Amino acid sequence: MKLGVLVSDYRLCVDTLERLQAEKLGLILVLNGVYHAVLQEGGESSALLQKTPHIFALKEDLLTRGLDPQQVDSRVKVLDYEGLVDVIFNEFDKVAWL
Amino acid sequence: MADVKCAFIVQRPQYKGETSRLAITHALAYQTVEILLEDGDTVTPTLCFIGDGVLGLTKGQKAMETYGITSTETHLKNCMLVDLHILVCKEDLERFGISPDALPDASEMGAEVSINVVPYSEIQKVMEEAKHVLFF
Amino acid sequence: MGVLTIGVFPGLVGNMAYDFALKLADAAVKKGHKVNIWFSGNAVASVKANQKHLKDYSTGEQYLKSLLERGVEICTCEACNLARGIHRQDAIEGVQWNAMHWYLAKIFEADRVLHIGGE
Repeated sequence: MKLGVLVSDYRLCVDTLERLQAEKLGLILVLNGVYHAVLQEGGESSALLQKTPHIFALKEDLLTRGLDPQQVDSRVKVLDYEGLVDVIFNEFDKVAWL
Repeated sequence: MADVKCAFIVQRPQYKGETSRLAITHALAYQTVEILLEDGDTVTPTLCFIGDGVLGLTKGQKAMETYGITSTETHLKNCMLVDLHILVCKEDLERFGISPDALPDASEMGAEVSINVVPYSEIQKVMEEAKHVLFF
Repeated sequence: MGVLTIGVFPGLVGNMAYDFALKLADAAVKKGHKVNIWFSGNAVASVKANQKHLKDYSTGEQYLKSLLERGVEICTCEACNLARGIHRQDAIEGVQWNAMHWYLAKIFEADRVLHIGGE
């Protein structure tokens, strides 16, 4: 399956995500999930960034938290709400919210 | 005529929050959705419990006596009475030391299906076969 | 164009996932998609009319009215509302009231479903 997962928390959904498998897995970082795109906890970037090459972060949720969209990890593509709609319809055949 | 399969994945324990309960009541609604659909069209949810979501499923619940609300045990029995598929993750039950025998069954009420304790890989397969995946 | 059904369970005030859902619906409509929204759990209180927009709190009413005007179908769980003492005559005009099977019916017709849980 081609599954896009909207990750809305920094910690709470990680154990569910660890087990989730998909032929094409996308992680779409929204709300507090955007911290995965920027934090270097203990000097390390989020392990989620290694799970798939298809990672996106919502620009509005970065800006809301005072995070610079230019400073996200290079593996993360920043998109706005309309870009998110395109990703939901065009990149994956189902989406889920964690 | 079409059938849309949905995976309802419950990952939070019952009772503190409402989400995990709403997963069950929304799944139960599959028995009346046909009134809003064309003849022959159906929606088939499979209710899956994983992670902390396997907590709060065991027999002997007294929620009606203590808080005046329908217990999850009763909701699960109602699901079985309308042939809803219920899967509980084997590895997560083992992790918490919960025996499959502790899960409710509604055979004495006439149910023909029971809760299936399955490896996580079976639940992954349900997600793959579903058109839509909903996490509660 | 596709059909997006969004299930919204978090409350209007206290969880920004609600705000996210409405902004996503708005963007999807702008892109020409059909959008359905189902409110359940604490999200149902957001259909109450005459919300005062205070800057420390999210507001749903303006957004909901705008979405309704642009053809978005919005339905709220009747039982969840009644349990909270909210009645149809107090609600924003145009919001539908129905049972949980409405959500399943809109899932049936959807190309994509985004279910936003309440916790």
